[in-house]
Amino acid sequence: MNLLLTAVVQGLIMGLVYALVSLGLGLIWGVVDVVNFAHAEYMMWAMYATYFAVAGFHLDLLAALPIVVALGFLAGVCTYAVLIRRIMSAPAVTQIFTTFGLLFFLRYSAFAAFGPDFRGITWPPAGGSVLILGVPIGAAQVDAALAALITFGLLHAFLQWTKTGKALQATAQNPAAALALGIEVERMYMLAWGLSIATAAVGGAFLLTFYQVSPTVGDAFLLLMFASVVLGGFGSVLGPLLGGVVIGLVESVAGNLVSPTFKLALVFGALLLVLFLRPGGLLGQERRG
Amino acid sequence: MTAAGAAVAVLLALLPLAVHNAYFINGMILVFIYGTAAEAWNLLGGYAGQLSFGHAVFFGLGAYTSTMLLARAGISPWLGIWAAAGLAAAVSLVVGLPTFRLRRHYFALATLALAELVRVLFLNWNLVGAAVGLYLPVRLMNQSWAMIWNTKTPYYYIALVLFGAACGAGAWVGRVRLGLYLRAIDEDEDAAAALGIPALRYKLLMMGASAALTALAGSVFAQYVLYIDPSTVLDPLRSVLFAIMALFGGRGTVAGPAIGAGFLILLSQYLGGALGGFGRGYDYVVYGLLIMWIAAYERRGLLGLVRRLRPRPTAAPGPEVRPATHGADTRGPRPAPALLLEVAGLAKRFGGLRALDGVDLEVRRGEIVGILGPNGAGKSTLFDCITGYLPASGGRIVLHRAGGPRLLAGRPPHWIAQQGLARTFQLIRVFPGLTVLEHLLIGQEHRGESIAAALRPSPPAVRDRAEGLLRFVGLEAHRNAPAAALSYGQQKLLAFAMALVRHPPLMLLDEPVAGVNLTVVERLKDYILAQNDAGTTFLVIEHNMDALMALADRLYFMANGRVVVEGPPEAIQQSDEALNLYYGR
Repeated sequence: MNLLLTAVVQGLIMGLVYALVSLGLGLIWGVVDVVNFAHAEYMMWAMYATYFAVAGFHLDLLAALPIVVALGFLAGVCTYAVLIRRIMSAPAVTQIFTTFGLLFFLRYSAFAAFGPDFRGITWPPAGGSVLILGVPIGAAQVDAALAALITFGLLHAFLQWTKTGKALQATAQNPAAALALGIEVERMYMLAWGLSIATAAVGGAFLLTFYQVSPTVGDAFLLLMFASVVLGGFGSVLGPLLGGVVIGLVESVAGNLVSPTFKLALVFGALLLVLFLRPGGLLGQERRG
Repeated sequence: MTAAGAAVAVLLALLPLAVHNAYFINGMILVFIYGTAAEAWNLLGGYAGQLSFGHAVFFGLGAYTSTMLLARAGISPWLGIWAAAGLAAAVSLVVGLPTFRLRRHYFALATLALAELVRVLFLNWNLVGAAVGLYLPVRLMNQSWAMIWNTKTPYYYIALVLFGAACGAGAWVGRVRLGLYLRAIDEDEDAAAALGIPALRYKLLMMGASAALTALAGSVFAQYVLYIDPSTVLDPLRSVLFAIMALFGGRGTVAGPAIGAGFLILLSQYLGGALGGFGRGYDYVVYGLLIMWIAAYERRGLLGLVRRLRPRPTAAPGPEVRPATHGADTRGPRPAPALLLEVAGLAKRFGGLRALDGVDLEVRRGEIVGILGPNGAGKSTLFDCITGYLPASGGRIVLHRAGGPRLLAGRPPHWIAQQGLARTFQLIRVFPGLTVLEHLLIGQEHRGESIAAALRPSPPAVRDRAEGLLRFVGLEAHRNAPAAALSYGQQKLLAFAMALVRHPPLMLLDEPVAGVNLTVVERLKDYILAQNDAGTTFLVIEHNMDALMALADRLYFMANGRVVVEGPPEAIQQSDEALNLYYGR
């Protein structure tokens, strides 16, 4: 029982972190209708940016955060403007191909620049552990989970209560109709990419307080991200949140109660099961394409 | 084999006699092995449009199977590689059956996840060496039965033969009916099913062939490098690499994956040297940039760039050809009206909405029956239920054929189409990348067509029929134009002609004359009447009252998912109930 409770609490906390890094993947998939296989690589770059800001320039993580997030937003906007814009009307094959190219480029340019070493930071507020329901959890993980909740809250508020946020939703549902209503669809796409990478940057920055970065860190996260988004369904902020938490729970419960070696296998098994049974996600509508 | 292909084959066969640079020969062996895998990937991902990012599974299965057989059981790889190919094909079919229900991104994702799953399993499976991997028995060095040598030349020729076979398989598929079917499935699977093309069967065929070839490549790779472990042969990056080689060179062509493999492998061999940073990943940085650049500027890949340099003259559209006219007066006496299609109590619910609420309808042989009704009456839903695109919630659909009645409910669209029921779609569905003539060729009868038959070119009878129909609908001047280049009206004519190729006894037309100009309306009316004379029964949804009145023997008026009135056109025209519903009075 105690083991199960530990697994559940750990799973919930990690699940929120997975949700945070997956959020942007679902956002682009939902709004821009492009599946970004390079999403985890942006997170990796954000981790490096955080590392250099904190370890190189001796900034506090919270002081570095706005810079890293702003850089992430800019990177997203640039990616759309330079690359994605040109493949918007291309077949899905080309789009998948392109984002894999992006993956190669981002991962191996990091490899070329920083080498294969693992790097991490220590952030004093993330030291030690806290008790949640009697279960000790690393403070770093809890901070990251809080950051996830705040980010989700802010994004949800933005989408629901601002005019731009509503325009973004309209674009997601029907770009042609949005265009006819005078919404600048191109700018909405650009905004979605900016927000997507910015949220990945928040996730990357907090992840670095307990997870070391290397150029291949994305490998471990790419399928977890996809699992979260597919599980939760895209097109809403709540989808990836739910999906991430479920994935965190599956991983943690399987890792603690079954076998740590097969925890990822069980996560991918869960992803396959959802793909076969409910390809639109637990919440989402089935969508062709 | 074309002259260019033969010349390349001879050159490659002579190469080791002229070049003795081991580094270069090593590069070429890798080009052939990866090229084989890229060609194999292309069979599924290029021709059938199913993007797999899990082909490392088959590569790894091949490597592990032949290696296990040799190392543990002393079975020669000359036999072992076939066992490997068979096992990979079997696994691919088991995997393919559920995954092929998924489309595009989801299929790609599922294959990616499967590959990870298999890698994790192998990493922890002690029988196959787990994370440590397997060594090939080097004590058998230079024993030909063990396929192990300490020189590169034998590997070079084995890999070259395999690569040649893979290219040959691709060339064959590209040249026979199957290639056309696969392109049609890739472009619009639903529309292909409406012609009776069994998509799942052909996708599974390509999956099996692709997996077997990839496994052969994996086996030979293991024999060459003499050591395998999950992080080399089951590396997910390898799956991506196969795909990228094919896509980069130009998917759906034979030369594309070969060029892609050659270019990328040699690039990484020599770039690593040139930049002085082996293992620093510079080659992948360049891959990434090249991929993005080529995707954004030339979707057809490297091969497309080459073609761009030599533009082929495009056929100028010829003059419109007037069709032979068939007046209404040519309609002969009707044959004895036997029941052909019977719909009883058909219901379809979407959540709480009753789109079809107990529809009864009969079509007799030789008739032209019209369906009329306001938007949202359930007309297209009725068609979708009859043709298997939507599952009915209740009721009966029976097609009375010469061989006895057939229950259509619950059957897949391609099966229903094969029973002799053709349909067109309200939003026109042609295959944008196929030429006009190719549309007519794939329209042939698919009932009873064996896989062996699909591996041959279209028979002369089908070609003659296609030519005849081209003239019939006046599209012969556009025979080699892709459908995307046709006007809307021409696409409608094409969709109509395509459905006619196999002489379907019953045709369902969903708004055949909507959205086209008056000339084309008249032509389509003529064609329908002429085809009706030739023995095809029609069930037609149409909003164009004049057209429907001129065509139909009987009309059903539908509203709110029910048949409200049924009778000859004049009777419907005078039915207050129908008119009130139609005009919303």
